[in-house]
Amino acid sequence: MNEQNKTLCNEEELFRFVDNDQFTSEKITAPRYSYWKSVFRVFFRKKINIMVIAFLVLILLVSFIMPIYWPYDQMENVTNSAVYNLSPKVAMQRFGGFSFKWLLGSGGLGNSILYGIVSSSRISLLLAVICAAINMTIGILMGALWGYSKKVDAVMLVIYNIVANVPYILLISVLVYIIGSGFWSFVFALTITGWLPIAYFFRTQVMIIRDREYSLASRCLGTPVSRVITKNILPFLTSVIVTLLASELPSYISMEVFLSFIGIGLSANVPSLGRMISQGQGAFLTYPWEFWPPVAVASAITIILYVLGQNLADASDPRTHM
Amino acid sequence: MRKYMLKRILFSFFSLFVVVMTVMLLVFSLMDRSMIFQTDDTWNKRNLNERTLYEYMQYQRYGYLNYQDYTDFVRAKYTEQYGETYNSQPQFTADIAAIQNENTYLENATVQEFIAKCKAEGYEMRYLQPVRFKSGKVKPGGTGFLLATREKSVVLRLLDYLKGFFHVETTRDVKDANLTERYIRFEKDPYSKLFAIVGSGTQHKYQLYFDGRFPFIHQNWFSINLGTSFTTYRGQEITTVISKPSGDMVVSRTQYPALLGTDQYEDTAIDFHSVTYNVNPSEADREKFPDNYTTYMFNRAGLSRLETSFVIGLMAVLIAYAIGLPLGILMARRKDTLIDHLGNAFIIFIMAVPSLAYIFMFAAAGTKIFHLPYKFANASPKILGYILPIISLSVRDIANLMKWMRRYMIDQMNSDYVKFARSEGLSEKEIYNIHISKNALIYLVHGIPGTILSCLVGAIITERVYAVPGVGNLMTTAINTHDNSIIVACTVFYTSLSILSLILGDLLLAKYDPRISLTSEGGGGR
Repeated sequence: MNEQNKTLCNEEELFRFVDNDQFTSEKITAPRYSYWKSVFRVFFRKKINIMVIAFLVLILLVSFIMPIYWPYDQMENVTNSAVYNLSPKVAMQRFGGFSFKWLLGSGGLGNSILYGIVSSSRISLLLAVICAAINMTIGILMGALWGYSKKVDAVMLVIYNIVANVPYILLISVLVYIIGSGFWSFVFALTITGWLPIAYFFRTQVMIIRDREYSLASRCLGTPVSRVITKNILPFLTSVIVTLLASELPSYISMEVFLSFIGIGLSANVPSLGRMISQGQGAFLTYPWEFWPPVAVASAITIILYVLGQNLADASDPRTHM
Repeated sequence: MRKYMLKRILFSFFSLFVVVMTVMLLVFSLMDRSMIFQTDDTWNKRNLNERTLYEYMQYQRYGYLNYQDYTDFVRAKYTEQYGETYNSQPQFTADIAAIQNENTYLENATVQEFIAKCKAEGYEMRYLQPVRFKSGKVKPGGTGFLLATREKSVVLRLLDYLKGFFHVETTRDVKDANLTERYIRFEKDPYSKLFAIVGSGTQHKYQLYFDGRFPFIHQNWFSINLGTSFTTYRGQEITTVISKPSGDMVVSRTQYPALLGTDQYEDTAIDFHSVTYNVNPSEADREKFPDNYTTYMFNRAGLSRLETSFVIGLMAVLIAYAIGLPLGILMARRKDTLIDHLGNAFIIFIMAVPSLAYIFMFAAAGTKIFHLPYKFANASPKILGYILPIISLSVRDIANLMKWMRRYMIDQMNSDYVKFARSEGLSEKEIYNIHISKNALIYLVHGIPGTILSCLVGAIITERVYAVPGVGNLMTTAINTHDNSIIVACTVFYTSLSILSLILGDLLLAKYDPRISLTSEGGGGR
């Protein structure tokens, strides 16, 4: 008896009675959940992500603002062969003391390496963003349709089997020969079939989700296909999309470097990292300052984009939002 | 299963055809055909009409069109009538000269005959007017020509290509009226001391033979003709380009076929198994060879292009599997420890950085720190030249295998069978190395045939950086020099390999994991 009293006494201290409120009991409440808010909460929990974003912002600012004030001209010293291939120290002596412009020496035509790298990174970043945007958009939309409709699947599989086997380098070089090698024709060459592998990847992902019960239920209720795709399937694939984007973005920078190296890159008047690297590679032992800085910048950009994308992909997986 | 494979193989052939046709369409129809003369010296030297004639000649060789020349037509016509002495006929000279007058050439009877014949065959006439100085003298290279051209359609081009694709040697191959004995039979091979299949009337004398070179048994009976290179490897067949041994000649003490049995030995590098038929052998050759098979090749110490690429690629793949898989398992076992973080950093670096960048980093580090040879050809001993290319190639595969092995291992780690194994009291080492890795490998097995076969394709950047004489740059140089037939040949080669590796991958997967069935009948299929 005594014992029971004691517990009763304790319970009174710990709990208090609440009035029975008819109004609130009618509502079903759950904690507020915003998907994107949670994504960023998880994303910024990691210190490294803040650092990586800071770096990216720095690169963006430098590469987009600096060329406005200090324009890069590859041909400015082309007539003066005495300033070709100068090491940073010699170049600064020649051009009158310390200057930012000659901090990394001069290139094969007397051009400033530093200014070249800054202008080139802008082009490379633009190329990567534009190509990724076009390829991802077309790839995701086509992939969703491809995976959803069995009729489209039969046709697209045949097309894919054929196009995937046509050597990529050949296709790009033929296009470059036909339409020229300016910036936009290069974008065209990279995107005309570039979306196909993305769409194929997506087809498989969509097929997995297509037959889940909730999609089946939507279909039974007569939801139009476009709505099932945009509301039922695509949101489920957000983290897959971000993961793919993380590897796609830097891959275009690598692709441009590779194509320039084998001689079918952007035209000579468009400064690009790939062109700088392929120009410097012949003499990378004798004039290392012409080769390593663009390589380092290209690597830095690709690593930053890759890490950023991977961590964003991790954060965009709802299972990490606990 | 058999029906499924048959269907699959048929479909593979279909897609191979379509791919080759697409590439031919790209290369022959979409690319500007005058590009092929960009690096052509002969074209630069010729002028006016002769240059145009040369262009048509080249277009025909490259397979763009067929053309007929009026002069050839007249020559053939008079040879038929008068035999060898057609040259002295006045009518012949008059007919040849007829086209040098742009005003009256159409009145000539032979010209009319030529035009009628070509029109009937669907050719289009092209008359190149003589180009003259003001004085009336013909300019150098300005002589008139009468041509008929016919464009080749894509389908026709593909059929032509396929017609010559496989070649089987027969006793009727050699066109020589003096050759009376034609046979293919077993004979004792005086060079290998074993037997050989020897032919007479075939292009190669030795159809099947043994020698000391890998793979020790060789044949010349059956060959694949992928096409002939024009610019990069002038006039050579592509199969020869990629399979011909390179390097220094190997001199050995041997005897010429006609001198066998005598005591006349000679130090020579001639490979007597490689002899092919020669219609007019020289006097010196007649003494040394008993028959007309006198054209030979030399024994060389080095590997062929294909072998070089394959050796480097295969070594890289073996190293990658030997290092990548255990490291992936280790990373999964020590998840979220220092080893895992270091491994991840390595994977991110290799995956994100352009491959060009790290290959050059290895090149710089290898030459500066370890004093390894930079260029493949400068290596002595030769084996040192292989080290840097193999490392550069394997690194990407290592990172890739680590990444996926770790991922699949972690996915498997919470499975029921792992808990069961643990409750049975198996050690962690056994669980990871035997049970989990075996299941994680299921996902990687499919790619194994592909990685091995892709060694035959070679590596573009690595081979360029270290100047390795391999096959990786065949395609890229062919594109830059407009060597159309090499482009088509490479496409056939690459596409067949990729189709083959997919089929082999599926078969291997079905073999490795019995739960997987390729056909819908039986268990496992959907």
